This record gives sequence, structure tokens and C-alpha cells, in this order.
Amino acid sequence: MKVIIKVDHLRKSYKDIKAVNDISFRVYEGEIFGMLGPNGAGKTTTMEIVEGIRKADAGRVAVLGIDVRKDPRHVKTHIGVQLQTTSLYPRLSVREVMALFASFYPRSASIDKLIKLVDLEDSRNKRCKNLSGGQQQRLSVALALVNNPKVLFLDEPTSGLDPQSRHNIWNLIEYVRGKGKSVFITTHYMEEAQRLCDRVAIIDYGKIIATDKPNKLIAQHFQEEAIEFELSQKLENDVLNAVSGVTNVVQENGKVTVYSSAVPVTVSALLDLAKQRGFELTNLYVRRATLEDVFLKLTGRRIRE
Amino acid sequence: MKTFQVLLVANAKQFFRERAALFWTFIFPIFFILIFGAVFSGEDDIKFNVGLVLEDDSPIAQNFSAALEQIPAFELNLGERGVEMQALEDGDRRAVIVVNSGFGESITLGQVTNIDVYYDPTQTSSKQVLLPIIQRVTDNFDRALAGSTPLIQLSEQTLQSHDLRAIDYLVPGILAMSLMQLGLFAVAPIVVDRENKVLKRLGATPLRRSTMIMSTVVFNLIIAMMQTALIVIIARLVFHVPVLGNWFYLIGFIIIGTLTFLAMGYMLSAFAKNQQTLMPLIMFVQFPMMFLSGIFFPTEMMPGFMRPIMDAMPLTYLADSIRQIMVDSQPLHAQLFSNPHLLNLIVLGGWFIVCLVLAVRFFKWE
Repeated sequence: MKVIIKVDHLRKSYKDIKAVNDISFRVYEGEIFGMLGPNGAGKTTTMEIVEGIRKADAGRVAVLGIDVRKDPRHVKTHIGVQLQTTSLYPRLSVREVMALFASFYPRSASIDKLIKLVDLEDSRNKRCKNLSGGQQQRLSVALALVNNPKVLFLDEPTSGLDPQSRHNIWNLIEYVRGKGKSVFITTHYMEEAQRLCDRVAIIDYGKIIATDKPNKLIAQHFQEEAIEFELSQKLENDVLNAVSGVTNVVQENGKVTVYSSAVPVTVSALLDLAKQRGFELTNLYVRRATLEDVFLKLTGRRIRE
Repeated sequence: MKTFQVLLVANAKQFFRERAALFWTFIFPIFFILIFGAVFSGEDDIKFNVGLVLEDDSPIAQNFSAALEQIPAFELNLGERGVEMQALEDGDRRAVIVVNSGFGESITLGQVTNIDVYYDPTQTSSKQVLLPIIQRVTDNFDRALAGSTPLIQLSEQTLQSHDLRAIDYLVPGILAMSLMQLGLFAVAPIVVDRENKVLKRLGATPLRRSTMIMSTVVFNLIIAMMQTALIVIIARLVFHVPVLGNWFYLIGFIIIGTLTFLAMGYMLSAFAKNQQTLMPLIMFVQFPMMFLSGIFFPTEMMPGFMRPIMDAMPLTYLADSIRQIMVDSQPLHAQLFSNPHLLNLIVLGGWFIVCLVLAVRFFKWE
């Protein structure tokens, strides 16, 4: 497969904080590559270095074979970028902003087709300040596509959106991949990474701690399913670990997650234990392991605290 | 080039769609001119009640009296010494000019002779405004006598350089002030764009920063020309304020002034983190210039200790040149260079370069 983005040993520090600490990865043609991690993990910094709008302290970045440090303008002509918070020119209309951005590039896609693609036809003459959050986000995706880029960068594209708007953006991203473009996306939403990404890099404290297909990551770390519940009194991890079928235990703020390869046995054993010791076991819930569990297992923390 | 045009049009659309910007740029200066024009319309200019005591009845003394009468700023009262001095003490006269007997005779004989001027020293305007005018009349009178120029013509000369109505003085100042405001505030949208990450988003496109800055500069020059045209036209239609001088000079100074204050605006925005800190910073620069640059009244009327401040402000020099060109007023520091605009050009250019260097050095794009 053709490599579109090639990042090797990237480093970037702000004073004493190592925001990006020796990160390497590849993004291939036609794939959606996700960077998953909590806020402040270094996702945005990494992405902005690759886009050529931030300088790295060390490391090499090549986009479409072009060295970003040497020729950032050349790279910028071929990529599409959406930043985390973009409030655009409030007094220009959708069409006007699109035309303005199109004028920055030597070649541009059809503005009318893009407006149709992101479903803003009814709002084409609306001023940007009058757009809803979801519409603004779709506009900024359309702007990222205005130069018909080979690779699309989306920084937390669905952050703060309602479920309907989020699905619209996901469909849009999948459509773009269908056109053979690569998408590099950052997110702190598990379900987004799991549903959307062909490959995911889990990042924490400026380091990539795992990279693979979402299902592979889960399968690699869990043959078990997760049982979540709350307890009326605190129990030691050792006690829960001794329950039959349990392979791992994580306790956080009164919320317990145990991983089990034999869910029925474990659940009945847990209920017995509760009755025996005289405490309550509430909000019991069984689910398949997710990327969140992988993150939890690898870092001991949840992504969103 | 296409990018530049599209940016320029986008700038214009954003500007003309914001009512506040339109108000401050076009309505506010006109408002100022109309208000001040109405205030001063009853009396064409500030009149000083001046007593004249003629104790000499020679033709020369008569001519001197006639010359004084030509000065529009003077409300001349001819009278006896005792009566006029009493009027001065009572505050009915700002000054009393006494032409002693033997005045004409002394001059005819080529002797130096004195004209006595009495005034109340507690009134600063008497000393700072009246005396220079009287001095000028006597100087011209002297010169005319020596060069045997007809006296009447001399009076007209005197008249020309002082026939400035308050509104004539004010309009060029308001124009200069509007250009200052335009330049200083032109950078505010860029600071907003920086805050909203629009600049960062633009940084992710191949758009060159130089193209961006150029489009802002050209756009503001166009607005400056529109402001100038509007102010000049309204002032002419309503108050008959002329443009006596060269139009190309006027346009030249409009451009230089706008560029200087744009550079100053960029400099201020380099030192401001966001819009909340930029606004007070602009005010801090703008208000002293508004009131200490001789926009509303001549700098001669200011107390002496403020002169160094006034002499440092770029607006003083821009207003001076525009005033010279439009209504043919006396240059501020005519004695320094043979061309009265040269000093103004040097000071404005100096400010432009200093502000530009600081702006380039400290401006942050994120």
C-alpha cells in the first residue's frame, strides 16, 4: 500500500512538557487513520506538525513524499485541513467563504458540488454567524475539501455535536475515503474511533502506546467481556480477582469493571458474594470489550475523566 | 493576483456588512464636522475685543489703524486712552493698542518707534494669540514701509494668512483624525481572526502572509480615500471649506498618513494578546493624539509644557500638512525647512518605520 504520511521520531516540547515524545507512524492511501487519546495527550500538536503549521523540535515528516519542514507550502497545496475550533468569517456567506478559500489554491473542486455534498444547499447564502454548530462543522469539512486534497486532516471533527450531526460527519468522512483519499483524524470518542477508523493509534502523554485495527486491538488485549457495576461498599481488588472467571479488575470512583471469560459464572458468583457479605450490587451491565477498555488496561485510566 | 482580488472583495464585504465600522468610519467624522460647524456658525471665528488709541493723526497712523481693522479676529474699538484702559481693566477689552503721538513723524524720519500693547497677563490666550497677530501686523507694516509697497495690498496679505474660520481650521484636522482612527482600528479584525483561529486556519493553506497584509493595506487605503472624499464634499457643500492646494499633495499625504497609522495599529496589535487588551491600548494612544495634536484648536493655545508632547505626535504633522494644503494655513514649523511639508514628511516617515519594525518584530500569528 502506498504511504501518504510518514512520521518518524517526532518530538516537540513546551518548556518542560514533552507534548510529543518520539512518535512514529504511517498513514496509507485510502484509509481512515485515527489518533485516539485524552485531551492533552499530544494529538493536536502531532497533527499540526504534520500539516506544516507547527514546527517540530526533532523528527522527520513527509506528506505525499514532500518534506514538510523543507516545503510546507507545497504540502499545504495538496492537503485539506480542519482545525479543532474554527469560527469563520461571520459576515460572509457559505458560498463566499468557499470561494475565498478556493482562491488560495492553484486548482479547486466545484464549490456547488461541495455545498451539495455537505448538505448546505439551503444555507448557501446564509452568513456564517447564522449557521448551527453542525452546519459550521460541515462547512469546515467542505472547506478542507475545496482543493480536492489527497489527504484530509480532521481534528476532533465531531466534538460537541449532537448525535445526528455526528452521524452526518461520519458519513461524509466515509464518502471521502470512498473517493480514495486518506483521512487522518484525532478523537477522544471511543465509539468514533471504533466505528470509523481503519487503524487506530492510541496515544497518551505524547507517546503512541498501541497501533492497529480497532478490532485487532481489542482482540489482542481481551478475549473476555466486561462486567460493570457499582458497589455500596468498597472491596479490595484481590477479593474480586478471586471470583471465578475474572481475569482483571479496575475500580474507579466506586465504579467497578471486571473482565471475565465466563460471564454467566462470574455474574452468579458476584451475586453470591454480595449476598454473603451483605452489600448491594447495582447498575450491573455486561458488554463487549471496547477501545476504552484497551486504553484502561494499557494506562490504568479512562480517556474521559 | 486572483487571490489578492478575492481577498480584497472579501475584506470589503465584511467591512460594509458591519454597521459599527461604517458608523465610526463615515458617519462619526461627518457628525463631528456638522456639530462643530453649527457651534461656530454664529461667529465666523473667535473675535477679540481690542481697543485702539490713536494719539497721532498722521496718514501712517491712519493706515496702521486701517490695517488692524482688516483683521477679522479683531473687534476694533477706537477711543480715548483713559476710556479704553478703563475698559481693559473692566474686562471689556482683551488688549489695548496705543499709537503714541509722533508715531508717523518718527517713521518718516526713519527712527525706531514703539507701539504700546496693554493686556491682561492672566489671560493666556491674550498673550499667545493676540500678541503674535499684532506682531505680524507691525512686521508687515514695517516691511511694507521699507519696500514702499502700497499699504492696502499689505493688508490683504495679512488678511489671507489669518482669514481662517474655525471650521476651516477644524475640517482638515477631523480628516487627519479620521485617518488615524481608520489605521489604528484596521488591525482589530486581524486580532479577532487570530483569537478565533482564523489566521491559523489560513496558515494551513498556501496563502502567503504578504498577500494577506497587502490586501488589508490596499483595502484601508481605498477606505481612506472614500473618507477623504466624503469629508471634503460635505465640508464644501455645508460650510464652503475649500481645497485651495494641490490635490496630488493631498492624496499623497492621505496615503502616507494612513500607512503610518496602519503600521502603528499593527504595532499595537503585536503587543495585545486579544481584543480586550487591544481596545484600551488603542484608546491610550488615540486620545492624547486627538486632543494634543491641534485638531480642535491651534497648538499655540496650549500651555508651553505640553509642547514637547505635541511636537512628538505624528497626528500633529499629518493634520498640519493637510491643513496647509486644504485651507492654505501657516505651516507649524515653517522656519525649519524651506519646504513647509518636508518636516511633516520626515516625522511621519520616522513614525512609520519605527512602528513597522516593532510590528514585524513582535507580531504573533497565533
